[in-house]
Order: sequence, then C-alpha cells, then structure tokens
Amino acid sequence: MTDDAPNSSMSAETLDELAGEYVLGTLDATARRDVERRLPQEPALREAVVRWESRLAPYASMVEPLTPPPALWSRIERSVAERPADAETTAASHTAKMSDSPRGSSWGALWQSLTLWRGVSLASIVTAIGLALLLALNPAERGPRYMVVLSTPQHTQAGWMVQAGSQRDIELIPLDDFQVPAGKTLEFWTKADDWSGPVSLGLVEANRTRRLTLDDLPPLEENQLFELTLENAGGSPLDRPTGPIQFIGRAVSL
Amino acid sequence: MRARHGGPAFRRLILEDPACGFDARDARVTHNNPNEEHGRLLEACAAGDHGALQTLYRLEGARLLGVVQRIVQDRALAEDIIHDAFVNIWTKAHTFDAERGSGKTWIFSVARHLALNHVRRQYREVTVDDTTAEQLDAERSLTASAEIEDTFDWQGRGDLDRCLKALEPERRNCLFHAYVDGYSHSEIAERLDRPLGTVKAWIKRSLQSLRECLS
Repeated sequence: MTDDAPNSSMSAETLDELAGEYVLGTLDATARRDVERRLPQEPALREAVVRWESRLAPYASMVEPLTPPPALWSRIERSVAERPADAETTAASHTAKMSDSPRGSSWGALWQSLTLWRGVSLASIVTAIGLALLLALNPAERGPRYMVVLSTPQHTQAGWMVQAGSQRDIELIPLDDFQVPAGKTLEFWTKADDWSGPVSLGLVEANRTRRLTLDDLPPLEENQLFELTLENAGGSPLDRPTGPIQFIGRAVSL
Repeated sequence: MRARHGGPAFRRLILEDPACGFDARDARVTHNNPNEEHGRLLEACAAGDHGALQTLYRLEGARLLGVVQRIVQDRALAEDIIHDAFVNIWTKAHTFDAERGSGKTWIFSVARHLALNHVRRQYREVTVDDTTAEQLDAERSLTASAEIEDTFDWQGRGDLDRCLKALEPERRNCLFHAYVDGYSHSEIAERLDRPLGTVKAWIKRSLQSLRECLS
C-alpha cells in the first residue's frame, strides 16, 4: 500500500484539486474513470478524495428525501441474498455456509445482474462483431466456436476477451490496460452451467495475451462463465475465488 | 434543459417486481451516535449480516433516493441506481475503513458516484482548451455582473460553512449545482448563463480557496 506509482509526480495541490473535482462531480466520464482506476493504487489520491467527501457530505442534506417503493428493498434483498460479501477477511467464515448450499447461486445472480449488462460499451460490441466475422470467415476450423467478452461487474467496461478457435483451445486477450495492485494477482476461472463450482485456469499476467488448452475440462459450451478475480499473490488458497471479481462474461457461440 | 434518461433500450432491462412487500421484522434501528452506527452496520455487512444492510436501507434509503434522483432526474433510473448502490455496499463493505471517514459518508459516496458515472457517461462534455476558453470568455464575464443571490439553502450544515461564506454567492451556486444537482461544467454555465471557461475557473479557484481556508 506504500506504492504510490504511477502518477505520484503530481503535486499535492494538483492531486487535491483532482480529488475535489471528482467528488464535486465536475469531471467528465473519461477523467472520472481515470480517477477510479488510480484510486486502488494511490493512497494519497484516495485520502484526498475521502477528505473532500467528508467536507461536502453534510451539504447533501439540502436534498429532500424520497420514499422508495416497497418493491425496491425486495429487489435489493434478492440480489444480495445470492452473493456473499466478497471480502478476503470473511472468506473463511463463509466457507462452511457456502458448502452447504448449491454453489452456483451467486454466479446466477451475477449473470442476472443489471449492472453487468446495462452498459457493456459500444467498443466491446464492435470488437465482438469484428471478431465474430473474423472467425466466421475462417473456414479452416470446424465445430462450434465461442467468444466471451469479459466486462467489469460494476462499470460495464470491456476489459478482456476470450476467443476460442475450438472447444479446447482458448485465448485470453486484453482489451484495456489493467494495473494489478502490489501483492495481488489476477486469477482466471471458468464454470459451465451444470458444474458444481468454478475451476481455476491459472494466474494471468495483466495486459498479455494468454493461450490455454482445456485438456482436463469438458469441452467449452454455450453460456459457460469466465471471470478474472483479484487474488493475493500466488492465487486463491481455496478451490474457488476468494477475491473480488474484476471481469466477467459468458461464452456465446458464433 | 436536460434530458437524462437511458431511453427505451435501457428501460427494457429493468426488472419489475410488483408482488413483494417490505419486511421490516429484522430491522434494528438504534438511536446511538449515527456516524458510528453506520460504521458498525457496515462491519456487520462485511461479516455477512443481511439484517445490517436492511437497517442501513431503512436509515438512509429515502435520503439516498433523494440525492440520486436529484442527479439523474429519472425516478425509475434512480431506483435502479439505489439497487446497485446497496448491492455495492454489500459486496464492498469490507473495504470501508472507519479510520478514514464516517460510514454514512461512505454509503452516500457509493450511491452518488454511481449516479454521477451514469449521467457523465450519457453526456460527454465537449473538451475546450481551458486557457483559450477563458480568454475568449473574458470580455463576456466582465460585462455580466448583476447581483447574484444564493440558490441553495446551504448554511448551518457542515464544518465547511465558515469557508463557504467567504466565497461569492454565484461561486457557491456553482459548487452546489455540481455537488447537489450533479451538473457538468457546461450545464452550470448554461444554467447561470456564464461562459464555460469562467465556470471552470471559478470552480477550480473555489476548491483552492476552500482548501486554503481549511488548512
């Protein structure tokens, strides 16, 4: 957490101004995304943001409250019932509970999550169509082919793509720059609809294309889930993800 | 002036839920120090306590919906954002650090930034070189200097009062149009009928003077 790279050259004042405009809300979409990307890696920026949040928060009370409809809580309740809090600290306490229940449930919730699908960026769709055409036009390969666009669960930005030339050979391709915080690593997972739990496909280096052969697994199938989680260095200590999901998506046949 | 909503494609994705009622049996509302209470409830969420999340919802749901609705100006969308905010609060509760800011502030930040991300994604601001804009606008801003009064009833709410008081009312209005209404620079400029460069410079300088006032 002491690693204040990559923009630490910014003066304390500039950093504070950026944090102020971020909290105030006047940054445009690109600048907001940039700040949100930097926050996990830059304690100084994070602290400046927290300071501005604390200073300005009392003034949110100028806004009149609005009573939410009863159905809203039910919706929230349903969404959270199916997913454990993704804390590393609570992973152990959840293990017992999780093993008693069908493990697929939280994955189902993610699949149904509105946020996941709401704004999958135009770029990813364009890329996807481009890739689909590329694969469809290549007559050399036989059998079903699949493609997965992995997006961030919260901000619906495409980050990676899985391209499968066959049901065994897949390629994980980065679409966007991703910074792995110090002491952490990206781990790649997959789960088909009828599997009891996710299977690790190993650790992944950010911003590098990775080729994999699914030798020990059933052939890739429609709707199969893929995700990248942020785990402590060395990967998840359990046979399932313990860190937060960074990117997630499902296989679509072409 | 603003037409902020996702349109039909977005609306189709909204899940309807007409049947379920609100069940408050498990809700535990206490009247201790509210700031500490929120922090404790967040810790309980991180430990997997669904009841704690429900209590947070009972305590803050209406205020959060007000804040988010004010920014997105669309009731169904605001409710979607509150849904997403509470899912985020649940999954990210372990990242809340009571040493750095109150639980209440943290919760409001989660919801507010979701709302801001939404409206900023909808409307990409036209980039204007700041210096050029200021130069071009200088003349206009000199001629428009009518007496401006406060639009917002901001006093008596926070520690920033003393410092806000030192700003001119129109500059305070800029800050609150941004913070409360979620307006972009150009929306504020339009609202106040001021040049874009001027509004950008005002906000920047206002933040600087607030920081200096506090240090």
